Amino acid sequence: MLRFLVNRLGQSMILLLIVTIITFFLINLAPGGPSSTMRMDATAEERQAMVENLGLDQPVLVRYVDWITNAVQGDLGVSFNTSEPVTQRILERLPYTIELTVFTIIISVLLGIFLGVLSAIKRGKAQDHVINFFSVIGLSVPAFWLGLMLILLFSINLGWLPSSGVGSRGGEFNLWGYVSHLILPVLILTTTVLPNIVRFTRSSMLEVISQNYIRTARAKGAKESIVLYVHALRNSLIPIITIIGMLIPRLLSGAVITEAIFGWTGIGTLIIEAARGRDYPLVMGVTVVITVVVVVCNLLVDILYSRVDPRVKNV
Amino acid sequence: MKNNKWIVLFTLLMSIVLLAACSYGGGDETSTQSAEGEGEQAAEGEPQSGGSVSIPIVADPTFNPWHPNAYAESNVVNRVLFSGLTQTGEDLEPIPDLATEWETSEDELEWTFHLRDDVLWHDGEQFTAEDVAFTFNEIVLNEALGANNTSYFQMLQEVQVVDDYTVKFIMDSPVAALPAYLSFNTEIIPQHIFEGQDPWDLTSFNKENPVGTGAFKLKSYTSGQSVVLERNDDFYGDIALLDEVEYKVLADANTHVAQLLSGELSIFALDDLSAIDRIESAENVTVEARETPRFFWIIANQEVEKYQDVRVRQAILHSIDRQNIIDTVLKGYGTIADAGIAPALADYYTDDVTRYEYDPERAKELLAEAGWEDTDGDGIVDKDGEPFTIDFEIGIQGDLEAVSQMVQQYLLSTGFDVNLNAMEWNSMIQDVVVNRDYEMSLNWWRYPADPDLSAYMHSNSVAGNNIPAYQNPELDALLEAGAQTSDIEERKEIYIEAQQFMSEELPYIFLWYPQEAQVRVNSLQGVPDLAFGDALHHIHKWYIEE
Repeated sequence: MLRFLVNRLGQSMILLLIVTIITFFLINLAPGGPSSTMRMDATAEERQAMVENLGLDQPVLVRYVDWITNAVQGDLGVSFNTSEPVTQRILERLPYTIELTVFTIIISVLLGIFLGVLSAIKRGKAQDHVINFFSVIGLSVPAFWLGLMLILLFSINLGWLPSSGVGSRGGEFNLWGYVSHLILPVLILTTTVLPNIVRFTRSSMLEVISQNYIRTARAKGAKESIVLYVHALRNSLIPIITIIGMLIPRLLSGAVITEAIFGWTGIGTLIIEAARGRDYPLVMGVTVVITVVVVVCNLLVDILYSRVDPRVKNV
Repeated sequence: MKNNKWIVLFTLLMSIVLLAACSYGGGDETSTQSAEGEGEQAAEGEPQSGGSVSIPIVADPTFNPWHPNAYAESNVVNRVLFSGLTQTGEDLEPIPDLATEWETSEDELEWTFHLRDDVLWHDGEQFTAEDVAFTFNEIVLNEALGANNTSYFQMLQEVQVVDDYTVKFIMDSPVAALPAYLSFNTEIIPQHIFEGQDPWDLTSFNKENPVGTGAFKLKSYTSGQSVVLERNDDFYGDIALLDEVEYKVLADANTHVAQLLSGELSIFALDDLSAIDRIESAENVTVEARETPRFFWIIANQEVEKYQDVRVRQAILHSIDRQNIIDTVLKGYGTIADAGIAPALADYYTDDVTRYEYDPERAKELLAEAGWEDTDGDGIVDKDGEPFTIDFEIGIQGDLEAVSQMVQQYLLSTGFDVNLNAMEWNSMIQDVVVNRDYEMSLNWWRYPADPDLSAYMHSNSVAGNNIPAYQNPELDALLEAGAQTSDIEERKEIYIEAQQFMSEELPYIFLWYPQEAQVRVNSLQGVPDLAFGDALHHIHKWYIEE
């Protein structure tokens, strides 16, 4: 187990390094520069002064070495466009994305397993078809389109929900104010992951139901509910842990679009801001953070997997 | 029965999730139009105190008007937080703000500004002439800083302190537009805070706790969400009527429209006019067309030989049905331009210039005169066997892409082979503005409320904002004469002549003077008939009517 962990950590470090190299060179070689040097009406002297102030007159390689040297010491640098530390800007925004992600996962997992099981035990019946139908729709509809349509319906036509923002935080707590801002973004994010969980649960459940020990359980006269929820569900849940781990990176990328549409001030809007403003240190910082999250999630899934299923040995 | 059990369990879990949310520390929904004038019994139509307005901005602002990162989203905040020596009056002429009056010396090389002696910074310190001298001498004239808007002050040598409340601007050559420039994003910042600091790295001011002299002061700022300003009760001018001004950070233009219609936003200038019909038909919202000192243009790089022939530029203009573009893409918010001085500058604007009707035949004639004819019948004009190809690079922003596609079609039908390359904004700036590696582009300028367009077409500005690199001694002479004359009547004559010259020679291929579609909820009153940005100078007069 220990050797496995050391191995995986080593691999993750190399992966992280490669990601930073690719990102750094990609963003630096893209045409254009930081917003401060890119105003329409800035004069050549103003541009030159900013290039020097930001240290962009150094060769790219030198800048990368500087950056990585500081980064391994925990210093992600200072944002070009706001002069604030990158770490601070990310920490400001991260909680919002976590909030969105956590609610989405809780809802998707509960609802997904419920619908998946229902679909499996009602295989071939009306419930199964309805659930399948909506799963396919959910998988196919683009999030940005659905988001705009929901805003049109619930915010403009019906006026029930706010069209964007996170609500005013920090003041007196208001449950409806809090929840109402969450509903639409969480709904959109849920549609990107829920169908996956439903379909995965369904097939996993179907596979387990056809196993011999289920037939044995039925044969020994166990109640059907016991057979399904105790014998079958428990075993069919094992692979679902994997899919949840794999969905977290997907949620993070989905958050970019969802956050942009709903003005949700998380990491997603931050990375758009950073890329559009050519804020190199901020782009690098967000990339590192997201890569770490994804790598850690995968690692956790692997560990969890071997814990839940004794047959899996990570040696 | 089995299913019911699951449904009960599920509902139970959901309620736990919701309850868990309670302990998270959220807040209430913002109501932006709340107009509780505590105990106010103002008669209908009378300005009343209280209430707040909400204004969208597309990104986090920088609370420093000179900061190289202070763009449009910062300007609308800084204009309210800080004050300049002058401000834009309701007729777009500069009127007193921090300066009460000003005069120039005989040779117009020295401007003396008399300052108010009753101005306090938001932190209670007294505002003096030292702050003005500091702002200009240490920030604007420090070339290593690369501050914003320094191009207006290239003729400024230094600012001298005469006494606590008098300053002198010493110029290298006369600049009649100085009072107008001093009203345009050139607010004064406090010496007592910036002295000895790096003005760009001072995030405690620029990003957290700005200290200005304006009618409102900072109450709270949450990155990515909102900036809330509250009334400054120690303001030197008329105390504002509104309690608060909230700027909401909303990157997406569709969201602006949605929030306006749902009453969550109060006022802004609509950039994307595609939603205008829906807004015009909404009952709670008013749309007003406002003149602004802006012009849209096509530039043809004068370093490229084929565009040096004025007949080619004229042919391009004759090829384009500008009225049709104004009617369709701009939904009527604009007037055709054949020179650069906008009707917003009513004192100087003239329509007595060379006009370019939509006339493809005339365009073809002009091209033929210039030696470009379709000899091989492929629909594209050619000269010496070379077809007339145009690389047309634009940045994607607002309606630039839609406009450019129409322009491309018009030019194609005249016989130009146009390759339209719509690129991301940053890349366009790199190619067109920084490297000047382009043939043709389309964009717009917005300038201070003064007709001096030297920065955009004088041959001295080729390294600056004269992006087409147009150079003509005759135009230079006119622009210089206008820049150096303070007498309004004399200036009018010069600029009328300059407009006629521009329309004849087309240093820029002028398209139109856009009007701003200013959208505002009906409950917001007291906003003067000015472009949104200028109306912000008068925010102390705004009020909410129940």
